Amino acid sequence: MRRAVSVIVLLALMAGFGFGVNRLIASRKHKIPTEATVFIPSATRPKIVLPGTLYLAQNGDIYRLSNGYFTDLHLSTKSGSWMQPAYIPNSQNIVAVLRAAEYSNLYLLSGSGAILRQLSNNSNPHIDKVYLNNWMFYPHIGADGTTVYFSYDEPKNSTTLAVDFSVWSGTLSGKLANKLLTNSNPFTGGDVDPTPLANGSVLYSKFAIANGNAYSEIAIQVKPLAKPIVLTTPAQDCGQPAPSPDGTRVAMICIGGTGLQSTRLEVATMSNGKLGTPTTLVNNCLCADPVWAPDGSGLVYYNTADVTGHFELWWIKGALTVAPSPPLLVTTNLDFDASSPPSWSPLSSVPVMSR
Amino acid sequence: MRRHHVRRNRFLLGFVIALGFVLSGAIGTVAYFMPAIVTAFQDTGHTIIRDLPTPTPGASASAAPRASASAVPTAEAAPGQPFTVLLLGSDNDAKFGGTVLTQSMILARVNPKTRQVVMESIPRDLWVPLSSGGSAKIDAAYLHGGASASVATVEENFGIHIDHYAWIGLLGLVNLINQVGGVDVVATNPVMDDFYPADLSGKDPYAYERVAVLPGPQHMTGMQALMYVRSRHGDLRSDFGRSQRQQQVLLALRAKAKLLGIADLPDIATAMANDFSTDMSISEIASLLPIASSVQLQNVKQVILASPYTVPGEKINESVLLPNWNLILPETHQYFPAV
Repeated sequence: MRRAVSVIVLLALMAGFGFGVNRLIASRKHKIPTEATVFIPSATRPKIVLPGTLYLAQNGDIYRLSNGYFTDLHLSTKSGSWMQPAYIPNSQNIVAVLRAAEYSNLYLLSGSGAILRQLSNNSNPHIDKVYLNNWMFYPHIGADGTTVYFSYDEPKNSTTLAVDFSVWSGTLSGKLANKLLTNSNPFTGGDVDPTPLANGSVLYSKFAIANGNAYSEIAIQVKPLAKPIVLTTPAQDCGQPAPSPDGTRVAMICIGGTGLQSTRLEVATMSNGKLGTPTTLVNNCLCADPVWAPDGSGLVYYNTADVTGHFELWWIKGALTVAPSPPLLVTTNLDFDASSPPSWSPLSSVPVMSR
Repeated sequence: MRRHHVRRNRFLLGFVIALGFVLSGAIGTVAYFMPAIVTAFQDTGHTIIRDLPTPTPGASASAAPRASASAVPTAEAAPGQPFTVLLLGSDNDAKFGGTVLTQSMILARVNPKTRQVVMESIPRDLWVPLSSGGSAKIDAAYLHGGASASVATVEENFGIHIDHYAWIGLLGLVNLINQVGGVDVVATNPVMDDFYPADLSGKDPYAYERVAVLPGPQHMTGMQALMYVRSRHGDLRSDFGRSQRQQQVLLALRAKAKLLGIADLPDIATAMANDFSTDMSISEIASLLPIASSVQLQNVKQVILASPYTVPGEKINESVLLPNWNLILPETHQYFPAV
């Protein structure tokens, strides 16, 4: 009897040892964070309190960062992903993109996330003709608080397969796609990131393809459909332009010379339709979407904090100055949508509205 | 005598118990690596059959110069020596009645000592004599004889020796990228396509879906990365743009290889089961991981055979790319030794 018990105990110990070895090897697996390991912004506190109110997108929802706190706008993701928020000057409202599988629309939202109005209708009921749907992205609102600038995949011709973004403008209260502003280069992806300047021109990224390479140039559109003023060279391959509040500088993301595996965050002076020699603020990064603080005290941008590839918010104080501060990580364990530029309103507090 | 007997019995008992623990540990280890072992048996160690019929010289107006193409087994590169891998990517849906074309063919030359890599994308529409006979677009080589025919066709037309091949299906690529937590890609331009095949996401393999990959740095899931590398209708460069994006995503995957170790093999094997095959053994694949992770970007040379290496043409009412072998071969042989 005693011998039998000993044998059973030994066998159990052996089985336990085998299981332990199995789990020991499993514990050597490299922990690659997935979406499940990422926090929602409103469950975290940023390391730095930034002025005004930032609107940012993560995992299909939009968050507001104000006074050192994130607020979840709790937008429903049933019909798609919310992204690319754009604040409306002198207003608590924002415009944002709701991206579905085949189309995207612009919506007018309150600062607390209530849907006030659908601004576009780009879906088409013919499910066998998906090319009849349309995309709208990158909304920006002019200083008048009513003119909307955005990228729209019109005009397009379904028989030529060409689908390229052009920059359009319209009004929040009237016709949205009212005026075609740019002639995009066909079969390149087109013109994106339109940002209105104080003089009424529009700064944007214009894509082109030459010598087998796709590249972006930063351009200014002075008049609708006129030849644009090109500010950067194909070799620089710069895009995502962000004019400083005083209009004297442009922050941009450049890819030229990186082997298409990284980017640079650069700032250049801008005057008389020309850019000065750019200063590189961050090199060899996955920097994206620079946006200036409304008071010009610095800029934020997205970059990965480690090799996991999750985009965090970074801040450079004094980016307008000759000696800007080194970049500071504002958030941790988040995963912002890097194809959705943040929008930075000077208003620092948003009243809580009932929904 | 009796004491000696007892001592021997105790020794034997101790040995049996120790053996039991060793066996138990071994079983635990084997159980952990079982998916990788199954994959090793099913998907790796395939043989390249090189004695396929040689295509008739001059079968095509644009036939390649016959650079003593190998139709017989050739010695593999010795360990530590530079070697050439043909990377094949293809759809594996039932759209073509169970047969598949390669959507992507990339020749990779790896020098383990110098940690240098050359990647040369072969356009899928390149009109060449196939190793299985006749002429066609090079993507049809796989259709007429699998990986062996693809290897032989590339070897014969490009006048090089290929040491290994690795084939991955669309779902395999999607699962692999998801398994490593996605890839970080700097999208070169807005990739727009209104006629992207909905063969993986829809019920109708002939249906289309719309693709809009926005430009700039972003974190892509497997499916998003697949759209980025597979779309070609909205790009002026058509297949060449796609080739560039494929190389870009491969390099992004290389960055993720730094995170992986041998304990990750079972998960990767499970993710790629039935969507991956290679003639390399599991140990050869494992030995490639540290090389892949240590290659610096500046040591990667990327070659795309766009104009003037190839020119658009028409064969049997099909749009094809006609090779200019007088330019392609010298360019290729700079990096891939001629045989």
